[in-house]
Amino acid sequence: MKLFDVKLLTVTCEILAQKAVLEILHKHGITGYTSYEVDGDGSKGIRGQGLKNEKNIKIEIISTEEKLKDVAEELMRSLFSDFAIILYFSDVQVIRSEKFI
Amino acid sequence: MKSKSLIQMDILGLIQANILTPVVLFFLLGIVAARIKSDLKIPEAISEFLPIYLLAAIGLHGGLEMRNTGFTNMLIPMLTAIGLSLVFTLNHYQILRRLGKFNIFDSYALASTYGAVGAVTFSVGLSFLKNQGITSEGYLTAVLAVLEPVSFILAIFLTNLAVAKQIKSKKQSISNDLDADKKILGMVGQNKTNLSEVLRESITGKAIIILLGSIIIGYAIGDNGFESISIVFDDLFTGAIAIFLLEMGIIAGQRLDDIKKVGVFLVIFSILIPTFNGIVGVLVATALGLSMGGSVMFGLLMASASFIAAPAVLRHAIPQAKPSLYITSALGVTFPYNIIILLPIMFSISSFVHNIDGPINLFNYFGINLI
Repeated sequence: MKLFDVKLLTVTCEILAQKAVLEILHKHGITGYTSYEVDGDGSKGIRGQGLKNEKNIKIEIISTEEKLKDVAEELMRSLFSDFAIILYFSDVQVIRSEKFI
Repeated sequence: MKSKSLIQMDILGLIQANILTPVVLFFLLGIVAARIKSDLKIPEAISEFLPIYLLAAIGLHGGLEMRNTGFTNMLIPMLTAIGLSLVFTLNHYQILRRLGKFNIFDSYALASTYGAVGAVTFSVGLSFLKNQGITSEGYLTAVLAVLEPVSFILAIFLTNLAVAKQIKSKKQSISNDLDADKKILGMVGQNKTNLSEVLRESITGKAIIILLGSIIIGYAIGDNGFESISIVFDDLFTGAIAIFLLEMGIIAGQRLDDIKKVGVFLVIFSILIPTFNGIVGVLVATALGLSMGGSVMFGLLMASASFIAAPAVLRHAIPQAKPSLYITSALGVTFPYNIIILLPIMFSISSFVHNIDGPINLFNYFGINLI
């Protein structure tokens, strides 16, 4: 079986930034993502307890490196200063490369 | 002089009595549990469900009342409430910006948090009145629904204006650089929140939908139709608030440490502003001819700060503002103050200005007679 190398971009941010993140994804033509609610601790203190608005969300996007770099750059520019947010890249292999272009 | 001290005594007595209600005691229990780091926690699904339940219950209640008493006379109180809310928001901004020295974003976010209304506070107020056996005008629930987006929209509009102005002045200073020009234009697009989008979102948001929907349902079904569901939406109402306030107490308790971080100015602001707004609200409502209970609820609408809707709206529309400021002050300081202390104060003022044979006038009567 042939595997294709693509990138996985993982964004962990406060749930109230989710909309802004999804808007940016949409703008860059990303059509698929997976998200789930999470909690954790970090420089902005413990998050994810109590009100739903205080939760964190983890969004996973698989696409080409080029596209994801553009996305990451815009996320960095527009959200890093105001929101609790981290993001990282990892290498993943997929079977159907055409799904992730 | 004597009667004045009697009123004060009565307010204190009412505050004392108010603390010993299940709703407030559960709130205090939540705070204690959070302070001693207990693992007491309300399951997430329930704490998400309860606000919806409370909104549905107060919506139905309002709809039923409106069916019985009509709503032709609701226009003036509603417009007055909107006007007051806008004036208060601007007033908060000036105080925060000039005296508090907060930046533009924090000032507008806080100003609108305190200009907005709190549905939870409103529910507690209704159960407080129910406890005292006093009714209020049903259309105030509709006022609650209409007021919800007003103050946010004003604050977001003014923030956009301020941002655009800042960018314009920056642009002028480096206008010969084409690249910078493009960059700045990009920034305008990013920083400006689309007002119509905010409006659409707040109107289609879950709080407004369930509240307005329940008002209509309550109006449509009337007392006969309500009978079949009253066990859920009437009998359980105060109990549900007690459970929800346990959750609010836990969250407020967890935030108590943050109060030190928001600063003395904001803590004083979070107590004085609701007191002022609330008392003005009671007096204005009385002047408009609202009942004694209605004036208390009107005052509470003016006094309350939003801590569930505000973060959801503001975090998106004014992301530059620090949420820790407006959530902590609204939930950690203003909410407890409103339900424990201000509510009985407004109740006393309202019964005083309405000259109702409430506890105060009874005392006065005896006082005068004894002399």
